[in-house]
This record gives sequence, C-alpha cells and structure tokens, in this order.
Amino acid sequence: MTIAVVHSATPPGRAALLAGAQEALLRLEDLVIAVAAGSGPVTVEEVREQLGPTANQLDEEGLTIGIGHSQLSDPSDAVVQIAQENDARLLVLGLRRRTPVGKLIMGSLAQRILLEATCPVLAVKA
Amino acid sequence: MFDAALSALQSLAQPSLLIMLLVGVAAGLVMGLIPGLGGTGAVAILLPVTFGMEPAQAFALLIGALAVVHTSDTVSAVLLGAPGSASASVTMLDGYAMARRGQAKRALSLAFLSSMAGGLIGALGLTLAIPLARPLVLSFASPELFMLTVLGVSLAAVLSRGNVVKGILCGLLGLLLGMVGTSPTTAEERFTFGSLFLGDGLSLVAVALGIFGLAEIATRVGQRRTSRNLITLGGGWGTGIREWLTYWTQVIRGSLIGIWAGVLPGVGATAGTWLAYGQAVATAKDKRTFGKGDPRGIVGPESANNSVEAGDLIPTLLFGIPGGVPSAMLLGMLLTYGIQPGPAIVTEHLNLLYLIIWCFAIASIVGAFLCFLGTPTLAKLTKVPFAVLGPGLLVVMLLGAFQGGGQIGDLWVMIALGFVGWVLKATDSPRAPFLIGFVLAIPMERYYYLTATLNDGLGWMSRPWVLVFLAVLIGPALWALVKWARRRRNIASDDGHGIAAALLHDDDEGETDGLLKNSPWSLAVAVGSVTVCAAALVASTGFSPEAQLLPRLVSVAGILVGVVLLIQELRARQFWTRGRTAERLTVRTAVRTFTLMIGFLALVTLVGYLAAVLVFVPAYLLFVARARTRTTVIYTVVLGAALIALPSLIPVDLPTGLLG
Repeated sequence: MTIAVVHSATPPGRAALLAGAQEALLRLEDLVIAVAAGSGPVTVEEVREQLGPTANQLDEEGLTIGIGHSQLSDPSDAVVQIAQENDARLLVLGLRRRTPVGKLIMGSLAQRILLEATCPVLAVKA
Repeated sequence: MFDAALSALQSLAQPSLLIMLLVGVAAGLVMGLIPGLGGTGAVAILLPVTFGMEPAQAFALLIGALAVVHTSDTVSAVLLGAPGSASASVTMLDGYAMARRGQAKRALSLAFLSSMAGGLIGALGLTLAIPLARPLVLSFASPELFMLTVLGVSLAAVLSRGNVVKGILCGLLGLLLGMVGTSPTTAEERFTFGSLFLGDGLSLVAVALGIFGLAEIATRVGQRRTSRNLITLGGGWGTGIREWLTYWTQVIRGSLIGIWAGVLPGVGATAGTWLAYGQAVATAKDKRTFGKGDPRGIVGPESANNSVEAGDLIPTLLFGIPGGVPSAMLLGMLLTYGIQPGPAIVTEHLNLLYLIIWCFAIASIVGAFLCFLGTPTLAKLTKVPFAVLGPGLLVVMLLGAFQGGGQIGDLWVMIALGFVGWVLKATDSPRAPFLIGFVLAIPMERYYYLTATLNDGLGWMSRPWVLVFLAVLIGPALWALVKWARRRRNIASDDGHGIAAALLHDDDEGETDGLLKNSPWSLAVAVGSVTVCAAALVASTGFSPEAQLLPRLVSVAGILVGVVLLIQELRARQFWTRGRTAERLTVRTAVRTFTLMIGFLALVTLVGYLAAVLVFVPAYLLFVARARTRTTVIYTVVLGAALIALPSLIPVDLPTGLLG
C-alpha cells in the first residue's frame, strides 16, 4: 500500500505534497508522486528538495519516494491509473480556487479525480 | 427509399462493379500497411485510375479502398510498434504491449473485428442520416449552401490541431489557390498570368498529392530501416474472436464516437481514435491495465477509426462540405462528374448514395476477412524501409497527377506544392483546411453569386438556417477565444482533459511534425502568406466587379490573419531553437529529396517517363537509399514492366519527352 500525491508545480500542488508526506509518515506507507502528461517531468531529487526535512524523516522510517508515470493522455485518467497500479491507500490532491464560470468552461481535473478514484481522496487547499 | 437501397444492392451484382470493389479493397489494404499513406494517400493514388470510368465503378473502387485502409494499418502498429498511419498509434499503446506478451493474434483479431464492426456501424449511420437529413437538405437554397461552404472551411480551420490562426490562414490560402483559373460567374481568367494551362484551374489530384503525398515522402525518406524486429504471430485467433464478442458495448460506443468525429470537418481519424480511447479509459472502473495490453484499448479506437471514414461521408454527400481530407477528394471527384452534392444527390442520385453505403459495408467485411488470411505474409511488407518505397511511390504519384489533364505542368505544380506542404507540415500548420478550402472555393463563389443576385440586400441573412449556421460560425470563434485566454493564464496543471486533449492529435501527425516550429521557417511561412495575399489583392484589382469580390475578400482576410500570425511569430523569436542537428538533418533531407524530384521531372520532360524511371529509380536506390544491388535490379525491372503493361490494362497515359 502507498500514499499517492498528484504532482503539480503550483502552491496547492506543493501543499498536497507536504500533506501527502505527512500522511505517509503517519501511516508508515511509501510515497508515490503521480505525474500526468501535462505537468512536466519531475525527479525524486526535486521532490526531496521541496519536502526539506520531511524527506529525511521519511528516510529514517525506511520509507521510499517514487515517481509514477502513465501513458494515458488524459491527466485525470493517468492519475487514477497510477494510484490503482501502486495500490494507493490514499490519493492526495491540491485544490485551487476557480470561479463557477471558469469551472463550467474548463471543467475540473480535481472533480474528475474525486469522482473516478477507487480509493479515498484527501483534498488540500493552499 | 427502401427500393433505392435494394436496387443499389442489385447493381452491385454486376461483375464489373464487384471487381472494382475487390480491387479497391486489395489496394486499400496494401496502402494501409505502408506507413504514411493512410486514407488520403489511398484516395489520391487511386483517384487518377478512375478517370474515364462510370461514377458507380469509380466509387466502388475508391470506397472499397477507403473503408479498409484503417483495417490493415493496425498490423504494423501491433507487430512492429510503428503505426502505419497516425490513427493507428492509439492501437499501438495496448496492441503492441499485448503482442510483446506473445498474444499478437489476439490483439490483431480484436482489431480486425472491431474495424469491421466500425465500418458496418458507420455505414448504418450513413444510411440513417439520409432520411433524417433529406427534408433539411431539400429546404436549402443558395444562401444556406453558401453558408455551409463558409462553415466547412472555418470549422476545419478551427478544429484542426494547434494554432487556430495558422488553421484559418491555411484555409484562406487554399481558397485563393482554388480561385486560380476561370471565374465561375463571369468566365474571366484570374491569377493565370496569361497562361493557358492555369486557365483550367489546378488539378485536384496534383494539389492533394503534392500537399500530402510528396510532403510525406520528403519527411519520411530520411528514416532508415527500423531497428525493431517483427513480433512473431503468437496466440490463437479464436481467443481474440471470443473475447471480442464480450466487448460489444465498447465497439458500439467507439463507432458512435467515430461517426461524430467524422461529421465534424477537420476532425479526422486520428482525433476520433484518441477520443474513443479517452472514453474507454474514462468509463473503465479499473484503469490499471490500459497502455499495458488492455483489450478495451484496442476495441474502441479500432472501431472508431473505421467509422470516422463513414462519418466523413455524411456532410460530404448530403451537404457538400467535406468532413476530412479523403472525402474532400471524393467531393472534388463528384463535382467533376457533374454530380452536385446536397439537394441534387438526394433527389437525382439516391441510387449512387446507397451504392456507396453498400460498398462501404461489403468492403469492411471483405477487408477484415482478407486481413485474417493475409496477415502472416503481408506483415513482412511493413518491414520495408520508407527510403526504398519512396521512389516507387513518387513514380506512381506523378503518374497519377499526369492523368488529370495530361500536362507536364501539373507535375511541376505538384512538386512546388509538395514543398509548400512540407513547410506547412514541418512548421506545424494544419493542411486539411488548405485542401478543403481549395475544393470549396468554386462552389462558395458560385453560391455567393446566386445568393447576391437572387436576393435583394442582406435579407437572406435572416433565413432561419442561415442564422443557425452563423451561430455555429461564431461558436468556434468564442471557443478559440477561450483557448487563447486559457493559454494567457497559463494554467499548466489543470489543462486540457477530454476533448481538448484528444483534438491535439491531428491526422498529419508524425514525430518530425512541428520540428521547425519557432524557427526562421515558421516566420517565413507568415511572411510568405502575407506576401501571397497582398499580391492576390493587387492582382484582383484588374478583374470585373463580380469576379473580384470574393478574391478580394479572401485576400484581405488573409492579410489580416497573416499579420496576426506575423506578430505571434515575431514574439516567439526568443524561443527560437537554432542549429539543432535534428532540424538541420530534416531540412537537408527534404531539400535533397525535392532537388531529386525536380531532377527526375526534368529528365521526364526530356526523355519521357519510362526512360526517366529506368534511370532515376536505380540511381536513387543505390546512392540515396543504399539498397542492395539485387533489390535495385528487381525493383527497377518490376516497376519498368508495370509501366509498360499498365497502359494496356487501364486507361493511363505515360508522359512523353521532347526526345520522343
């Protein structure tokens, strides 16, 4: 079992990463970063840098940080697939503010993940 | 209606029609296996063969090929991991993964059966569309038909991949090119520079084969032998067939998505298959195995890419606006037979319409059957490197373009447009709107003229259907604005899922596409387009008022859009990637290929076609493609023998040189 975090280079995304790492420490699970096609490449080093001291705490507990990739082009499907593949106990996701009209036109990635994920989802606000 | 359908089926009992259909299916299957040709290549190469045939036979041949191109293009995607056409790259995700696990036969039988069902459901959709659209089509007069042509070009421009500005500009340039020749309203010559040859307008086959065919050769010829080995056919056909039956809902859903994508102009097989794949993933509860050999990832997209071609035919035949590039060529062919799509076809040529549907359905079944039989042998064809196929294709394409008017000038036009097509492809400009604009230019002008003379003032604008079409026209403009606004706000993490992501995949997609985006080349495209439009504007001042109206409108719009693109390109200059080796290599290969083509054509002009082929092909194979001597000799002899035998089998003429 793992804790999966949706990667995003935005303030909510970083908040989600921290919350995910803390969940991992709490439950003693490995951390998996779910990278969708649109959000750009990311390395374990970058993640560790962002986590700062929390990364060292994870090491002390013997927990690993991994990166999950998917070939699927739709980001929400990709995230759900990565969570399923890694047998995620919890999926952590950053939410950002969006106006109702904006949501109507653009749709929402978070909304689709919430509806489609097959595990509990923790939504974090920045 | 039922009688017409039955009598169309009866007419298929004629041996001549049936033979044409089978020949078309065989040709379509082979062309599906060759990477880069696809439906566009198949129709463009076969179109010249149909010159001089009856409409029914011509359609049997072309529809036979079009219906099965997407059945056989799966073979290389599954066995080689290299898709035969851009739309098969979706099937590759799961199909190749399945084949690597030793279940190639399972993947292929799922794909063939889905393709067959997709074709059948597409044909059914086309059948149902006729009674539904008939009252609508019959209520249309010239204002509606004019609006439809405008809609056809603009939807194709907006829905194509990437930059909307580039799409619109390509559509406008296509319209301008279509206006070369005699004006339909005043019979005066436009943009011909006094040349008698240009007076007839440019040949559709030459334009299509240039913009798509030659451009494809120029980009792919640099590709060497693929390093991958063919996967042996493992597993059993039976398991796949039994499994396929359990996925019947996926088949129906995929096919319906395909029809819908086909009906939209400019959304072709590739976007349709991605949409189908997207929905298969989105509706699946367990997404774990997608991309790793999930049968659902094969069934949906494969059904969709065959039904797209049938969906394309719905707006083409009923409204006269082509849904895609292959159907744009079919539309051009209908017009040369004097058959007006739209109101005329549902009243006077209903029989032909049903014949097309029957051909599509029968070809789908026969195509899938032949694929089951022939795959073990035909699969080897996918291993032939494109550099070796290139010269043969070039010879066939040039010969095809020559059949239209029997003029060498057509071939020069074709090579020039081939270069234009290559530049457009390399700078990531969509080429579908260009060809659709070219085909629709004359109908658009004719309907506009009728509308303007039969109606006083702008009263026709308030006709109900005209208003509907205007709304549809403004809708995409708003959509483009939203897209633009979204890019401005730069929302990276929450961007493009669903349809938008799928529409990023265009039919003319390849790894070399857009390589010259953000380079001096794309700036040159913008500058060149503005120059062409400005020149057209200046040239059009010499025409009579009726004849100059539309060219002026189009060229002014072209200048405006071109300037917008120019500003975009100048802004993008900071992102220019200069002097990358991949770029230089691409440019060098293309320039060399086009130089060789020009050399070949000069040789043809001098010594005639057969002699030129016998010199050019071996030289090319030995020195450029570095093929083995034995291959070269056999290749040349077979090609030469075919060229000698061809004129006695089908009505084709070989160009003769100055020296006899």
